[in-house]
Amino acid sequence: MTPKKKKIVKIGAILLITGLLIGGGTVLYMFNMPHRNVQNTSSDFSLTASKLVTEYLENPATANEKYLADDGDSKILEIKGTVAKISEDFNGQKVVLLQENSDKAGVSCTFTQETNKNVSNIQVGETITIKGVIRSGASFDPDLEMYENVVIEKSNLVK
Amino acid sequence: MKKVSFLISTVAIVLALFAFTPPVGKLVSSKTHIKFFSHTSVEDIQANNYASVSTIDPSTGDVVFSVPMQSFEFGKALMQKHFNGEDFLDTKQFPKAKLKGKITNIAEINLEKDGTYQANVEGELTIKGVTKPIKEKGTVTVKGNKIEVQSIFNIVLADYGINFVKGKPASNIAKTVEITVQAEYQSE
Repeated sequence: MTPKKKKIVKIGAILLITGLLIGGGTVLYMFNMPHRNVQNTSSDFSLTASKLVTEYLENPATANEKYLADDGDSKILEIKGTVAKISEDFNGQKVVLLQENSDKAGVSCTFTQETNKNVSNIQVGETITIKGVIRSGASFDPDLEMYENVVIEKSNLVK
Repeated sequence: MKKVSFLISTVAIVLALFAFTPPVGKLVSSKTHIKFFSHTSVEDIQANNYASVSTIDPSTGDVVFSVPMQSFEFGKALMQKHFNGEDFLDTKQFPKAKLKGKITNIAEINLEKDGTYQANVEGELTIKGVTKPIKEKGTVTVKGNKIEVQSIFNIVLADYGINFVKGKPASNIAKTVEITVQAEYQSE
Protein backbone atom coordinates (compact mmCIF):
# COMPACT_ATOMS: atom_id res chain seq x y z
CA MET A 1 0.00 0.00 0.00
CA THR A 2 1.32 3.44 -0.89
CA PRO A 3 1.37 6.11 1.86
CA LYS A 4 -1.33 7.95 -0.09
CA LYS A 5 -3.64 4.93 -0.08
CA LYS A 6 -2.96 4.39 3.64
CA LYS A 7 -4.00 7.96 4.32
CA ILE A 8 -7.26 7.52 2.39
CA VAL A 9 -8.07 4.33 4.31
CA LYS A 10 -7.31 6.09 7.61
CA ILE A 11 -9.54 9.06 6.80
CA GLY A 12 -12.24 6.71 5.56
CA ALA A 13 -12.14 4.73 8.81
CA ILE A 14 -12.32 7.89 10.94
CA LEU A 15 -15.29 9.17 8.91
CA LEU A 16 -17.05 5.81 9.19
CA ILE A 17 -16.60 5.61 12.96
CA THR A 18 -17.71 9.22 13.46
CA GLY A 19 -20.77 8.57 11.30
CA LEU A 20 -21.64 5.44 13.24
CA LEU A 21 -21.28 7.26 16.57
CA ILE A 22 -23.48 10.16 15.47
CA GLY A 23 -26.02 7.82 13.88
CA GLY A 24 -26.08 5.48 16.87
CA GLY A 25 -26.33 8.40 19.26
CA THR A 26 -29.26 9.86 17.34
CA VAL A 27 -31.09 6.55 17.30
CA LEU A 28 -30.49 6.09 21.03
CA TYR A 29 -31.66 9.63 21.73
CA MET A 30 -34.76 9.22 19.57
CA PHE A 31 -35.60 5.93 21.22
CA ASN A 32 -35.24 7.29 24.73
CA MET A 33 -36.43 10.81 24.00
CA PRO A 34 -38.21 12.19 27.04
CA HIS A 35 -41.84 13.30 26.87
CA ARG A 36 -42.32 16.99 26.17
CA ASN A 37 -42.53 18.86 29.47
CA VAL A 38 -45.80 20.75 28.99
CA GLN A 39 -45.36 23.06 31.95
CA ASN A 40 -41.85 24.10 30.87
CA THR A 41 -42.96 24.83 27.31
CA SER A 42 -44.43 28.23 26.48
CA SER A 43 -48.19 28.41 25.83
CA ASP A 44 -49.45 28.65 22.26
CA PHE A 45 -52.79 30.27 23.10
CA SER A 46 -54.39 31.99 26.05
CA LEU A 47 -58.20 32.15 26.13
CA THR A 48 -61.33 31.60 28.23
CA ALA A 49 -63.03 28.21 28.63
CA SER A 50 -66.16 29.70 27.03
CA LYS A 51 -64.26 30.86 23.96
CA LEU A 52 -62.58 27.48 23.46
CA VAL A 53 -65.87 25.57 23.82
CA THR A 54 -67.61 27.97 21.41
CA GLU A 55 -64.84 27.56 18.82
CA TYR A 56 -65.28 23.78 18.93
CA LEU A 57 -69.08 23.76 18.89
CA GLU A 58 -69.26 26.25 16.02
CA ASN A 59 -66.60 24.73 13.80
CA PRO A 60 -64.98 21.51 15.02
CA ALA A 61 -62.88 20.99 11.87
CA THR A 62 -61.28 24.44 12.06
CA ALA A 63 -60.68 24.07 15.79
CA ASN A 64 -59.04 20.65 15.36
CA GLU A 65 -56.82 22.07 12.62
CA LYS A 66 -55.83 24.93 14.90
CA TYR A 67 -55.22 23.01 18.12
CA LEU A 68 -54.34 19.35 17.37
CA ALA A 69 -50.94 18.13 16.14
CA ASP A 70 -50.28 15.06 13.96
CA ASP A 71 -47.83 13.54 16.43
CA GLY A 72 -50.01 14.15 19.50
CA ASP A 73 -47.90 17.03 20.83
CA SER A 74 -50.87 19.35 20.42
CA LYS A 75 -51.16 23.01 21.41
CA ILE A 76 -50.43 24.13 24.93
CA LEU A 77 -53.22 26.38 26.22
CA GLU A 78 -53.80 28.70 29.14
CA ILE A 79 -57.49 28.63 29.93
CA LYS A 80 -59.38 30.92 32.25
CA GLY A 81 -62.74 29.86 33.63
CA THR A 82 -65.00 29.14 36.59
CA VAL A 83 -64.41 25.92 38.54
CA ALA A 84 -67.59 23.83 38.19
CA LYS A 85 -66.40 20.50 39.57
CA ILE A 86 -63.31 18.88 41.11
CA SER A 87 -62.86 15.11 40.94
CA GLU A 88 -60.18 12.44 40.68
CA ASP A 89 -59.47 9.93 37.91
CA PHE A 90 -58.48 6.24 38.14
CA ASN A 91 -54.81 7.27 38.11
CA GLY A 92 -55.22 9.41 41.24
CA GLN A 93 -54.94 12.61 39.22
CA LYS A 94 -57.16 15.59 40.04
CA VAL A 95 -59.60 16.69 37.37
CA VAL A 96 -60.88 20.28 37.40
CA LEU A 97 -63.84 21.19 35.20
CA LEU A 98 -63.92 24.80 34.03
CA GLN A 99 -67.40 25.67 32.82
CA GLU A 100 -69.76 28.66 32.86
CA ASN A 101 -73.42 28.01 33.72
CA SER A 102 -74.49 29.41 30.38
CA ASP A 103 -72.26 27.05 28.35
CA LYS A 104 -73.29 23.63 27.03
CA ALA A 105 -69.86 22.13 27.62
CA GLY A 106 -66.76 22.91 29.63
CA VAL A 107 -63.04 22.26 29.72
CA SER A 108 -61.93 19.22 31.72
CA CYS A 109 -58.36 19.68 33.01
CA THR A 110 -56.46 16.65 34.33
CA PHE A 111 -53.56 17.43 36.65
CA THR A 112 -50.55 15.17 37.34
CA GLN A 113 -49.07 13.45 40.40
CA GLU A 114 -46.69 16.41 40.65
CA THR A 115 -49.27 19.20 40.25
CA ASN A 116 -52.16 17.56 42.18
CA LYS A 117 -51.26 19.39 45.37
CA ASN A 118 -52.00 22.77 43.77
CA VAL A 119 -55.65 21.78 43.39
CA SER A 120 -56.21 21.44 47.14
CA ASN A 121 -56.56 25.21 47.59
CA ILE A 122 -59.10 25.84 44.89
CA GLN A 123 -62.87 25.72 45.30
CA VAL A 124 -65.92 25.35 43.12
CA GLY A 125 -67.08 28.76 41.93
CA GLU A 126 -63.59 30.31 41.84
CA THR A 127 -62.20 31.80 38.65
CA ILE A 128 -58.78 30.35 37.84
CA THR A 129 -56.35 29.91 34.97
CA ILE A 130 -54.99 26.48 34.06
CA LYS A 131 -52.19 25.59 31.66
CA GLY A 132 -52.08 22.23 29.89
CA VAL A 133 -52.03 20.37 26.58
CA ILE A 134 -55.23 19.88 24.59
CA ARG A 135 -56.17 16.26 23.71
CA SER A 136 -59.64 16.63 22.19
CA GLY A 137 -62.36 19.20 21.64
CA ALA A 138 -65.94 19.75 22.82
CA SER A 139 -68.84 18.36 20.83
CA PHE A 140 -72.35 17.01 21.11
CA ASP A 141 -72.25 13.24 20.89
CA PRO A 142 -75.56 11.82 19.62
CA ASP A 143 -74.80 8.35 21.04
CA LEU A 144 -73.91 9.58 24.51
CA GLU A 145 -76.78 12.07 24.11
CA MET A 146 -74.70 14.71 25.83
CA TYR A 147 -72.05 17.35 25.27
CA GLU A 148 -68.47 16.25 25.72
CA ASN A 149 -65.98 18.60 27.33
CA VAL A 150 -62.67 19.75 25.91
CA VAL A 151 -59.95 17.49 27.36
CA ILE A 152 -56.79 19.12 28.72
CA GLU A 153 -54.03 17.09 30.40
CA LYS A 154 -50.66 17.63 32.14
CA SER A 155 -52.33 20.60 33.80
CA ASN A 156 -51.13 23.03 36.43
CA LEU A 157 -52.44 26.23 37.93
CA VAL A 158 -51.08 29.45 36.48
CA LYS A 159 -50.04 31.73 39.30
CA MET B 1 -122.25 7.34 42.29
CA LYS B 2 -119.89 8.45 44.97
CA LYS B 3 -118.01 5.18 44.62
CA VAL B 4 -117.61 5.67 40.87
CA SER B 5 -116.25 9.18 41.20
CA PHE B 6 -113.90 7.97 43.93
CA LEU B 7 -112.69 5.22 41.62
CA ILE B 8 -112.25 7.64 38.75
CA SER B 9 -110.29 10.10 40.85
CA THR B 10 -108.12 7.28 42.24
CA VAL B 11 -107.37 6.08 38.73
CA ALA B 12 -106.66 9.65 37.67
CA ILE B 13 -104.25 10.14 40.58
CA VAL B 14 -102.45 6.87 39.85
CA LEU B 15 -102.18 7.72 36.16
CA ALA B 16 -100.91 11.19 37.01
CA LEU B 17 -98.28 9.68 39.30
CA PHE B 18 -97.07 7.38 36.55
CA ALA B 19 -97.07 10.16 34.00
CA PHE B 20 -94.88 12.33 36.21
CA THR B 21 -92.42 9.65 37.21
CA PRO B 22 -89.26 10.74 35.40
CA PRO B 23 -87.77 8.11 33.10
CA VAL B 24 -84.72 6.40 34.56
CA GLY B 25 -81.84 8.51 33.36
CA LYS B 26 -78.63 7.37 31.75
CA LEU B 27 -75.71 6.56 33.97
CA VAL B 28 -72.74 8.75 33.11
CA SER B 29 -69.09 8.04 33.82
CA SER B 30 -66.12 10.30 33.31
CA LYS B 31 -64.00 8.18 35.64
CA THR B 32 -62.62 5.64 33.20
CA HIS B 33 -59.47 3.72 32.36
CA ILE B 34 -58.70 2.18 29.00
CA LYS B 35 -55.49 0.22 28.57
CA PHE B 36 -53.89 -0.95 25.38
CA PHE B 37 -51.43 -3.83 25.70
CA SER B 38 -49.28 -5.37 23.00
CA HIS B 39 -47.03 -8.36 23.56
CA THR B 40 -44.32 -9.62 21.23
CA SER B 41 -41.14 -11.55 21.91
CA VAL B 42 -39.24 -8.29 21.33
CA GLU B 43 -41.08 -6.10 23.83
CA ASP B 44 -44.28 -5.38 25.71
CA ILE B 45 -45.95 -2.05 24.99
CA GLN B 46 -48.75 -0.51 26.94
CA ALA B 47 -50.63 2.77 26.92
CA ASN B 48 -53.19 4.20 29.33
CA ASN B 49 -56.11 6.55 28.87
CA TYR B 50 -58.03 8.08 31.78
CA ALA B 51 -60.11 10.65 29.90
CA SER B 52 -62.89 8.69 28.19
CA VAL B 53 -66.59 9.28 28.77
CA SER B 54 -69.20 6.54 28.96
CA THR B 55 -72.94 6.17 29.38
CA ILE B 56 -75.22 3.23 30.13
CA ASP B 57 -78.95 3.39 29.65
CA PRO B 58 -80.33 1.03 32.31
CA SER B 59 -83.69 0.72 30.56
CA THR B 60 -82.33 -0.42 27.18
CA GLY B 61 -78.84 -1.67 28.03
CA ASP B 62 -77.29 0.77 25.55
CA VAL B 63 -73.65 1.36 26.39
CA VAL B 64 -71.38 3.97 24.80
CA PHE B 65 -67.69 4.82 25.25
CA SER B 66 -66.13 7.86 23.63
CA VAL B 67 -62.33 7.76 23.73
CA PRO B 68 -60.09 10.80 23.09
CA MET B 69 -57.20 9.12 21.25
CA GLN B 70 -54.50 11.68 22.03
CA SER B 71 -54.98 10.91 25.73
CA PHE B 72 -53.23 7.54 25.37
CA GLU B 73 -50.00 7.79 27.28
CA PHE B 74 -46.97 5.60 26.52
CA GLY B 75 -43.78 5.07 28.47
CA LYS B 76 -41.68 6.22 25.55
CA ALA B 77 -42.32 9.57 23.88
CA LEU B 78 -41.33 8.30 20.44
CA MET B 79 -43.87 5.48 20.63
CA GLN B 80 -46.57 7.96 21.54
CA LYS B 81 -45.65 10.09 18.51
CA HIS B 82 -45.84 7.03 16.26
CA PHE B 83 -49.17 5.98 17.78
CA ASN B 84 -50.66 9.41 17.01
CA GLY B 85 -49.11 9.64 13.56
CA GLU B 86 -50.78 9.10 10.20
CA ASP B 87 -49.50 5.54 9.74
CA PHE B 88 -50.90 4.35 13.02
CA LEU B 89 -54.02 6.02 14.44
CA ASP B 90 -53.96 9.40 12.71
CA THR B 91 -55.43 11.05 15.79
CA LYS B 92 -55.57 14.50 14.27
CA GLN B 93 -58.02 13.28 11.62
CA PHE B 94 -59.73 10.83 14.00
CA PRO B 95 -59.52 12.37 17.48
CA LYS B 96 -62.02 9.95 19.02
CA ALA B 97 -62.72 6.24 18.97
CA LYS B 98 -66.14 4.96 19.92
CA LEU B 99 -67.71 1.82 21.27
CA LYS B 100 -71.46 1.69 20.80
CA GLY B 101 -73.20 -1.41 22.00
CA LYS B 102 -75.95 -3.05 23.93
CA ILE B 103 -75.82 -5.14 27.07
CA THR B 104 -78.00 -7.90 25.68
CA ASN B 105 -78.75 -9.42 29.08
CA ILE B 106 -79.51 -6.12 30.87
CA ALA B 107 -82.71 -7.70 32.25
CA GLU B 108 -80.57 -10.07 34.33
CA ILE B 109 -78.57 -7.21 35.87
CA ASN B 110 -80.13 -5.53 38.89
CA LEU B 111 -78.41 -2.16 39.21
CA GLU B 112 -80.14 -1.58 42.52
CA LYS B 113 -78.85 -4.73 44.18
CA ASP B 114 -75.22 -5.18 45.25
CA GLY B 115 -73.45 -7.93 43.40
CA THR B 116 -71.31 -8.89 40.44
CA TYR B 117 -73.04 -9.65 37.19
CA GLN B 118 -71.79 -10.89 33.85
CA ALA B 119 -72.68 -8.63 30.96
CA ASN B 120 -72.80 -9.65 27.31
CA VAL B 121 -72.09 -6.74 25.03
CA GLU B 122 -72.79 -6.64 21.32
CA GLY B 123 -72.23 -3.67 19.11
CA GLU B 124 -69.76 -1.72 17.05
CA LEU B 125 -66.29 -0.38 17.63
CA THR B 126 -65.06 2.54 15.54
CA ILE B 127 -61.33 3.21 15.40
CA LYS B 128 -59.64 5.47 12.83
CA GLY B 129 -62.96 5.86 11.04
CA VAL B 130 -63.41 2.10 10.53
CA THR B 131 -66.41 0.42 12.17
CA LYS B 132 -66.39 -3.29 13.00
CA PRO B 133 -68.85 -5.44 14.92
CA ILE B 134 -67.82 -6.67 18.37
CA LYS B 135 -69.24 -9.23 20.74
CA GLU B 136 -67.56 -9.25 24.14
CA LYS B 137 -68.13 -10.12 27.75
CA GLY B 138 -67.71 -7.89 30.76
CA THR B 139 -68.62 -7.66 34.41
CA VAL B 140 -70.87 -5.17 36.16
CA THR B 141 -70.26 -4.69 39.87
CA VAL B 142 -72.90 -2.89 41.91
CA LYS B 143 -71.92 -1.62 45.34
CA GLY B 144 -74.17 0.95 46.98
CA ASN B 145 -74.67 3.79 44.51
CA LYS B 146 -71.51 2.91 42.61
CA ILE B 147 -71.61 0.81 39.47
CA GLU B 148 -68.37 -0.42 37.99
CA VAL B 149 -67.94 -1.98 34.59
CA GLN B 150 -64.93 -3.98 33.48
CA SER B 151 -64.04 -5.81 30.30
CA ILE B 152 -60.97 -7.25 28.63
CA PHE B 153 -61.02 -8.07 24.95
CA ASN B 154 -58.73 -8.37 21.94
CA ILE B 155 -58.78 -6.43 18.71
CA VAL B 156 -56.96 -7.17 15.48
CA LEU B 157 -55.21 -3.98 14.34
CA ALA B 158 -55.47 -4.87 10.64
CA ASP B 159 -59.29 -4.84 10.99
CA TYR B 160 -59.05 -1.08 11.48
CA GLY B 161 -56.64 -0.46 8.64
CA ILE B 162 -53.54 -0.45 10.85
CA ASN B 163 -50.91 -2.52 9.09
CA PHE B 164 -47.16 -2.67 9.51
CA VAL B 165 -45.25 -4.64 6.95
CA LYS B 166 -41.67 -3.65 7.61
CA GLY B 167 -39.26 -2.26 10.16
CA LYS B 168 -39.50 -1.99 13.91
CA PRO B 169 -43.27 -1.50 14.17
CA ALA B 170 -43.85 -4.76 12.26
CA SER B 171 -41.65 -6.76 14.63
CA ASN B 172 -42.38 -4.92 17.90
CA ILE B 173 -46.15 -4.39 17.75
CA ALA B 174 -48.46 -7.38 18.09
CA LYS B 175 -51.04 -8.00 15.36
CA THR B 176 -53.66 -8.51 18.06
CA VAL B 177 -53.71 -6.17 21.05
CA GLU B 178 -55.50 -6.51 24.36
CA ILE B 179 -57.86 -3.74 25.46
CA THR B 180 -58.88 -3.38 29.11
CA VAL B 181 -61.86 -1.16 29.87
CA GLN B 182 -62.91 0.05 33.29
CA ALA B 183 -65.53 2.68 34.18
CA GLU B 184 -67.22 3.85 37.35
CA TYR B 185 -70.76 5.24 37.23
CA GLN B 186 -72.71 6.92 40.00
CA SER B 187 -76.41 6.25 40.24
CA GLU B 188 -78.63 9.02 41.64
